[in-house]
Amino acid sequence: MSDDYYPWGGEFTVCKKNGCVAVVILNLDFTPSNNVAIYGPLKTENIGIEKIVANVISNPHIRYIVICGKDIRGHRSGSSLVALIKNGIDKNNKIIDAPGAIPYIENLKIEAIERFQKQIEVVDLIGVSDISRIEKNIEECIKKSPNSFGKPYIAIKLKQKAEITLEDKRVIHSKIIVDYMGKIKKRGE
Amino acid sequence: MFSFTKEQKVFDISGIKIGGQPGVFPTVLIGGLFFKGEPDFNSAEEQIKNMLNLSKKLANPSITDFFIRKEEFIENILDFIVKKYPKNHPISIDIIEPDLKIKTLEILDEKKLLSRTIYNSIHVGITPEEQDALKNHTPNAAIIVAFNPKDKSPDGKIEILQNGANLIDTGLLELTNKIGIRNVLIDTAAMAPGDYSGAAIASIPVIKEEFGFPTGCAIHNVVEKSKWLDDFKSARKPVDASSNANIPLFGGDFAIFGPIHNSDIVFPIITWQDILISEYVENYFGVLPDDFHPRRKLI
Repeated sequence: MSDDYYPWGGEFTVCKKNGCVAVVILNLDFTPSNNVAIYGPLKTENIGIEKIVANVISNPHIRYIVICGKDIRGHRSGSSLVALIKNGIDKNNKIIDAPGAIPYIENLKIEAIERFQKQIEVVDLIGVSDISRIEKNIEECIKKSPNSFGKPYIAIKLKQKAEITLEDKRVIHSKIIVDYMGKIKKRGE
Repeated sequence: MFSFTKEQKVFDISGIKIGGQPGVFPTVLIGGLFFKGEPDFNSAEEQIKNMLNLSKKLANPSITDFFIRKEEFIENILDFIVKKYPKNHPISIDIIEPDLKIKTLEILDEKKLLSRTIYNSIHVGITPEEQDALKNHTPNAAIIVAFNPKDKSPDGKIEILQNGANLIDTGLLELTNKIGIRNVLIDTAAMAPGDYSGAAIASIPVIKEEFGFPTGCAIHNVVEKSKWLDDFKSARKPVDASSNANIPLFGGDFAIFGPIHNSDIVFPIITWQDILISEYVENYFGVLPDDFHPRRKLI
């Protein structure tokens, strides 16, 4: 779903608009209380993390991210999110010291990541499946009732530039030419 | 329905031909076998038998994609292959975690299964240790996933194959060649809806014309992630199965479909599509179907 407050969309549930906690659920059957701002599952260590970053910084009320449940095999998305918060990304946009298979953040500007790092504090409950313990941690964050971080940061998805002209008779893709019968040729050859 | 100018490679992977111009060889169907919890080998045997029977009836070759998610299951799953899976028939071994991949390669070698193994998969996250393991225990074939986190368009997919898109030192094709794997299948990396999902299909003819390697994808993943389909429960399975028809229609050579128990729907759809394509490409391009093509068998 998408929402005015969470423009990047994704598989999440919106609860309290000015809530201060976002809950990231790994392999766990858990529904947080309505007092959190937003919750949802995290699967991939690249696009999934990008959506969390973008959707969190667009709501300045969110100041805590609680990551709970058993980390995703192979993807290690939860640990990769923690690594992003702690270490940021390198010059190749790879999350520094992330254990996931393909931990690259490619659709966000560095400013968005820095804003995310500054705005939120992580509560790392990776490996924890005890619901009462997780709920206790969430309640502790809510009790702190932190101030809003200020203005929302609306992250713009970085997109490839596409130039289309009337002369460009592309079918499917600019790299190939497809004639009226379906014969494909590489453009320019 | 297309025909390519670039010469198209055809690989014979343990008796199954894959690749080439559209309409020559039937689409290879790679059915995903996932075990939730402990492997249930009785059910697996039944599902595989059913898929092989469909293959026999309809002439689309089938390969089982064994998903291994835990170290304790490696030995059991590979023993099952040795004892129950048809001798010399190719297998696809699908693992996410690098450490698990390395261990499985060693055991595949011990059990003399490498000559019929398709390694699923090599991608931009390959580790040096995984590369070493692949050099020491080289499988017959590998699926390269053309996932470029930077750019999910066909251009981005080509870049990751060609030069590594500045994410790794060399392109994935050169890297795989250096490891010593010659039979390469390219998976165009299907993304979730909202994340350039259509590029997986549009990339098929672009990549085939660029490199000539057998190309396909796991387009069913896009259907799985289409949450809005939850409101149309009876449509989910037909949509999932028919999504695979896009692959041969765009010139692709293989479909990784899942789960394997969708075989009963997936096989007839693809057989039907292959016949349709074959009739067109023979008339317009003079491309004749192979002796074992479904069109020869059924029409």
